[in-house]
Amino acid sequence: MWCVPATAAERSDLKVHQSPNRAPVKIVKVTAERFAFSPSEIVVEKGTVIEFHLTSEDTDHGFRIIGTPVDVAIPKRRRGVTVVTYTAVEAGRFIIECSRPCGAGHTAMRATLIVK
Amino acid sequence: MSSLNKLARLNFLAVCGLLWAGGPALAQTPANPSREGVPTLSGYMELHLNKEQAQPTATDLHRFVLMIGHSFSDRLKFWSEVEVEHALVEGGEESGEVAVEQAYIDLMVHRRLNLRAGMVLVPVGIQNERHEPPTFNGVERTFVDTVIVPTTWRDTGAGVFGELGGGLSYRAYVLPGLDATGFSADEGIKGGRQQGARADASEPAIAGRLEFRRGGLTSGASFWRGGSGFGLTRLTIETPGVGVGSLDARYRRGRHELRGQWSMVTIDGAGDLNRALQQQSGINPNVASRLLGAYAEAATRVSPNAWTHEVVVFGRYEKFDTQNRMPDGYLPLAEFQRSAVVVGATYYPDPDVAFKFDVVRARNKSGVVRAPWQINAGIGWWF
Ligand SMILES: [Cu+2]
Repeated sequence: MWCVPATAAERSDLKVHQSPNRAPVKIVKVTAERFAFSPSEIVVEKGTVIEFHLTSEDTDHGFRIIGTPVDVAIPKRRRGVTVVTYTAVEAGRFIIECSRPCGAGHTAMRATLIVK
Repeated sequence: MSSLNKLARLNFLAVCGLLWAGGPALAQTPANPSREGVPTLSGYMELHLNKEQAQPTATDLHRFVLMIGHSFSDRLKFWSEVEVEHALVEGGEESGEVAVEQAYIDLMVHRRLNLRAGMVLVPVGIQNERHEPPTFNGVERTFVDTVIVPTTWRDTGAGVFGELGGGLSYRAYVLPGLDATGFSADEGIKGGRQQGARADASEPAIAGRLEFRRGGLTSGASFWRGGSGFGLTRLTIETPGVGVGSLDARYRRGRHELRGQWSMVTIDGAGDLNRALQQQSGINPNVASRLLGAYAEAATRVSPNAWTHEVVVFGRYEKFDTQNRMPDGYLPLAEFQRSAVVVGATYYPDPDVAFKFDVVRARNKSGVVRAPWQINAGIGWWF
């Protein structure tokens, strides 16, 4: 098990890793832009370790998977990538929402994570 | 060690501690603790300097907008936008305005079907719903989004929204209609917006938008269809029906962006409306039965990739005709058959701060009334 510390200055490239295991690792690139995530639907097999690479096309956004502790900031356009790892241990549909106010359509800025 | 570094070290220890303690099978950064239950504050501002031909140079804090949001729960959200326009509001004098532009509650039911009620933005065109100043080029909003689609167009209403899969999403609302006594020759239906202020809801409207997103492409089709009453005025004619249709697209690839919009407004019974309003006030408003506008814009980031600061140059061509078709017995005024070329640049020291400059060369079909040129500079920021 290892962790990489994240200082405020390194915020745009956060990495806190799960211990290496044999579960498949899937890199999922997600782009945030007022007022949508792209892709807006992510499908993985149960047990997959998902490494989300999060970037923005405009302002700061948030990336929160409701019902899990995942809630990270996505830096502004061309200000870096947030990398966050989540192990999909539970099957079901998880709602991802923008957790940082980003404008007039913020409340509806959502995506879905489907764990089969 | 700076206090920031100390804080980061503490966060790091806390996350490692969580993992050692056999916490959830997940690794997470501590960067953004949940804001659940805490109201959020954000907003935007626009400061403009406008020089129009044959007019004095003017400066204007055009918009000062605060947005307050709150999550009652994961399913119940509140969002609002309060705006002060032109910085100063004084009783009984023509100056600025204070307006609630949005104030609604979202009830998240299902990905495909959610409910919304309150003061909402009419989902027509690009800029009505996306008007934070760093999101568009040019100091002022487009002419099409001013005299054809009357931004910021909002009203009290209720409706549904959701995602349909495959990059498709939609919004549809029921809203009060317009006040036809405010229609005009030069600005179309803009003066007829009721804006949620004791609105006459006896002539309801429906509005909707279907949006498609994939890769760098966002395209949308929107409509508004409804009646228009006469406010407190008594007129003995049928209330005119109004329709608005709009198609738009934005495409971004690397440092380049293209966007365009086509919008049309139809007003039924415009002839009767002109006659009735003329009888009452003595002035023929010369309201058209059809208004038409379109624009195309190309923009490119000219600053090198190595810079975090960005410089974007753009050019836009607009056609906007608020007298595109006239009712029988009324003639179009050529001065309202207009077009404009807008060229300019935007400097972003930060993606949320835009220093803007543009030159506008407007034209019209009139041989008598010349369209003025304009030079605009402005600062817009979002926080
Ligand atoms: Cu957002």
